[in-house]
Amino acid sequence: MSQDDSLSGRYRSHVADLAGALDANDERAFRAAFERLRAQLNVELNPELKRITADAMSALRRFREQARLEVLADHEVPDARRRLAHVVKLTEEAAHRTLDLVEQSTPLVDRMAYESAQLLEEWGLHGSRQLAVSTLWPERANECLERAVRDAERVRRFLSQMLLAQGYQDLSGQIINAVIKLVIELETVLGQLVSLASGEDTRRMPALKLDEMQGPGELRRGVGPHVPGTTDGGVVTAQDDIDALLASVAGGPR
Amino acid sequence: MSNNMKILVVDDFSTMRRIVKGLLNELGYSDITEADDGNTALPLLKNGAFDFLITDWNMPGMPGLDLLKAVRADAKLGKLPVLMLTAEAKREQIIEAAQAGVSGYVIKPFTAATLKEKIDKIIASKAAA
Repeated sequence: MSQDDSLSGRYRSHVADLAGALDANDERAFRAAFERLRAQLNVELNPELKRITADAMSALRRFREQARLEVLADHEVPDARRRLAHVVKLTEEAAHRTLDLVEQSTPLVDRMAYESAQLLEEWGLHGSRQLAVSTLWPERANECLERAVRDAERVRRFLSQMLLAQGYQDLSGQIINAVIKLVIELETVLGQLVSLASGEDTRRMPALKLDEMQGPGELRRGVGPHVPGTTDGGVVTAQDDIDALLASVAGGPR
Repeated sequence: MSNNMKILVVDDFSTMRRIVKGLLNELGYSDITEADDGNTALPLLKNGAFDFLITDWNMPGMPGLDLLKAVRADAKLGKLPVLMLTAEAKREQIIEAAQAGVSGYVIKPFTAATLKEKIDKIIASKAAA
């Protein structure tokens, strides 16, 4: 008898046996027919299950090798969290620094304005240079101008410090840019995980392109500001240490 | 060289360029040009008769280290004083910059006093050479 691979060829006899057992109310025959049907189903499903399992295992292996999932999960994501927390700290410190300097400058400017206005008003009231000179106006004007020179210099210093305080934007910007790169990589990894879960064949997916941040060119391109508490190591932050290091290299700075 | 020297400030963050420019103005330097990475800086340097270069390290396009190497490799620019003003603080990076011929290295965040001290020191050693 030739093999019939059609649906009806494979299952008709089982269905007929089941129906016959039901009609006869023969539970034993029904169970036996059901077992034969189950065995038939297993024969057909096993190779498919094996193939799916092998695909999943292979995809997972590929994932571990290519996507740096462990590195991302164990180090880079926690580091990113610390980096962003550091950005918040930098931003807050810069804002406070700027506000402190504004608060220190304001009374100095207010005093200059108030005293100058008072002197001008008195000058107007005296009506003439002689009358003004006969009072203590010139002495007070002199004191006021000397104070104004000192206060203006202090305000200028405060403004210069406000200028420097804005440097946080460069540092926080570099840190955020590095985190954005990590998010992009995570997005790719998660996209592949979703594809894997939906049964797509990951063997046809392009291998993850590791950013140069993780490659040998990392240091040449720059790694960004050091963030305390992260896995960054071997950093020198004191200016004296940097100068000593520069001087120690053959030839020293040019 | 003096306060009228021509300075090129290279940094990809415009805020930092403004800060450095502002500080240089306070120090009395007024002839300042800006560039946002090595690729834009190099043609300016080749055509601009600059006296001093202040550059960041980590920039898109051409990073500061490559710019430094390009400057040192150029017959005309080879002796230009180069101050690296950067957040890159790894020991091996500082050594690499030194080996590439950097004139000074200042880590961000920095103070106005540090910037002035390094510029003065570089100018003094240049004058003595």
